Amino acid sequence: MSAESSSYRVQYDLRPSKQVERRMIIDALQRLAAAGFPVADYQYTGFGSIYFVDFIMFHKLLGMNRLVSLEQTPSLERRVSFNRPFSCIDIRMVPASSAIPDLSRDVQHIVWLDYDGVLNKSMLSDIQSAVTTLSPGSILLVTVDVEPPEDHDYSDVDPDFDSSKTRMGPTEWKKYFEHHASVYLELGLTDSDFAKSRLVERSTEILTAAFLRSAVSRPGLDFMPLFNFVYKDSHQMLSMGGMVAGATEKRQIRGSTIADTAYYRSDFESLPFQIRIPRLTRKERVYLDREMPCEDQWMPKEFDLDSKAVMEYREIYRFLPAFAEILL
Amino acid sequence: MKYASASVRKQFFIEMFTRDISLEDCVLDLIDNSIDSYLQQRAISISELIFGAVRNGVTKDLGRIDVTCNERQIKVVDTCGGITRRRAMEDVFCFGHDADHLVGKLGAYGVGMKRALFKIGNKFHIVSRTATEGFEVTLKLDEWAEEKDWLIPIKFVDGAETSKKAGTSITITELHEEVGLRLREGGVPKNILNDAATTYPYFLDRCTKLTINDTEVSPREIPLGESQGRVKAARDKFDQNGVKVTLAASVAPGQRTTEQAGWYILCNGRVVVDADKTDLTGWGSEFASFQPKYRSFVGLASFESDDPLRLPWTTTKRDINRESGVFIHARALMATMSKPILTFLNSQYPSDASTEAGDIRDAVEGVRAVSFKDIASKPISGFSYSPPKKKEKKTEWVRFNAQIASLDKVRRHVRRPGLSASEIGKLTFDHYLKTECAD
Repeated sequence: MSAESSSYRVQYDLRPSKQVERRMIIDALQRLAAAGFPVADYQYTGFGSIYFVDFIMFHKLLGMNRLVSLEQTPSLERRVSFNRPFSCIDIRMVPASSAIPDLSRDVQHIVWLDYDGVLNKSMLSDIQSAVTTLSPGSILLVTVDVEPPEDHDYSDVDPDFDSSKTRMGPTEWKKYFEHHASVYLELGLTDSDFAKSRLVERSTEILTAAFLRSAVSRPGLDFMPLFNFVYKDSHQMLSMGGMVAGATEKRQIRGSTIADTAYYRSDFESLPFQIRIPRLTRKERVYLDREMPCEDQWMPKEFDLDSKAVMEYREIYRFLPAFAEILL
Repeated sequence: MKYASASVRKQFFIEMFTRDISLEDCVLDLIDNSIDSYLQQRAISISELIFGAVRNGVTKDLGRIDVTCNERQIKVVDTCGGITRRRAMEDVFCFGHDADHLVGKLGAYGVGMKRALFKIGNKFHIVSRTATEGFEVTLKLDEWAEEKDWLIPIKFVDGAETSKKAGTSITITELHEEVGLRLREGGVPKNILNDAATTYPYFLDRCTKLTINDTEVSPREIPLGESQGRVKAARDKFDQNGVKVTLAASVAPGQRTTEQAGWYILCNGRVVVDADKTDLTGWGSEFASFQPKYRSFVGLASFESDDPLRLPWTTTKRDINRESGVFIHARALMATMSKPILTFLNSQYPSDASTEAGDIRDAVEGVRAVSFKDIASKPISGFSYSPPKKKEKKTEWVRFNAQIASLDKVRRHVRRPGLSASEIGKLTFDHYLKTECAD
């Protein structure tokens, strides 16, 4: 976990990629609801912080009324309570590790462990607990930072490490992941497998193993992948998730329209869905939107945009927020 | 087609298969058989014993099991109902149970008694009587080993007449050399006594009494605890493949020692693993390694089944078969339950002194013994700790430095030279309150 709570560092509601991710998840949940999953009756448990953006969307767009926000920074308690947008949000000042075993087995859940740090032991332990206890049909989402671990992350691994003398590199990053996730790492990895550019891959492998292996303890149930997003507002982030599913739920997923979407991932081996947001002016967006969804080869005629950006825009325009200044 | 020989040799059972179990556990195997007889005869279920309404004794007439252990013989005599002739003829002396035989609750594999007899001595004598019929067997192992047949001579004798007197007596003499050595070395009866106390907390004084060399064994309860309104134990349960699993974890009451901390695993009420602090129950892999600061942690995992072969125990009943599906499921839940408790215990020792840590230490101190039955009867939930409501501060210290000359001035003014500085502070403050803040 980072040294400072992310609620002070990040203005939650102004992260376009994150917002696209949220809207895609909501789109997926709407499709699952249409296929018979009673999503409106699910309980949502997340880290609402002081912004509650996901809570507002889940309540308003999905009609969910059982909402639990976990906060473990005691000094934020009053701010969190002050900012609670709806009375149906229950704020619990406990870490996920305490809240997860307490989740009712009689209810289906959406649990979003939206961490802001690099993967660590306690996150993996939360995942294990969640996959072990969530009722069939429940959805677990996990978001982690996939930038290289920073000096403060590394102090647990090697208290003697002196960042003023040595700069952290793949050797230290490898040690970091071995310290936190050795059972989930494949054998025979070398330092170069932990280069900055490979960390998404490593974190994906670790999370995949944590999800799938934890489900082994559940007779008749599997962890069915649904989501695998990579995006970057400031730090590069990875979000993976899926459903604790038995035969019935698997059939229901197959019967849904979720497979028609570009972001759906039915396995964790395929490449993640990259949320890329082309930089466009408002005028350009309005122009592009009139042509969406466009044909494969379509290009704007009145200004130049490379074809890759057009295709990326086609995948996300339905989910892309528009920000404007409001005077309070 | 040619066939290679794959026949069974008596020597294997006599010499090899007796090496993987301790002498103490062999005696416990014989005690298991006695307890099993008692349960079978009175049709008592394991659930009744652990979770039943009656705390002390399911029935009033407890069975008796008396173990004698000295350098000449090891003897187990019980009044637990005896073995029928039919079972003696068809099952008791076979290695392994037949698929359609009704087996007991504690004897899963059909090897315990034979292995104990073979391990301990060369000669055994068994007399068993139900109320209506009885049998007697005397065997010298060295002679039997010479014979080709796998048959044991049996003599029918009269029954015990009353079910109260019905029971089995097993006497093993001509002790094997190494068994004699261990007994002469000393400590074996005491070990048996200790092992029995930790192994049978749910049987002793509930269905049988047990003595070892005339000393009665007191059950050692598994120390689970809760504290009213503050500390609530974690509880969980599930059924899988004919096995009923009940889990509880919390903070121990009373004297907390490293020896008693950890996970206890019960198979059909018998403690198979006690106070485990190893990877078997998740320590050091699923969660932190054990440290003395976790000495208040106690967890209990109970596996019950009418078919003991479905339980995750090994044949020695001293370990767990890690490949068992039901154990893998339970172990994952055990890890999930344990973690919040360790976090809670950890926060007793923060790096800086905090009132919260003091509250947590008070909560741990306030934990009182609660039975497994009471914990398990409540709905599934995680461990929880509710901190005491913060008291609203009613007073605050007022402290300041005053000139001695000014203090003396006040002393002279009120004509009380003996007033202390703090009394002057109080006096002047009260005066101001009274004269200037009238309401």
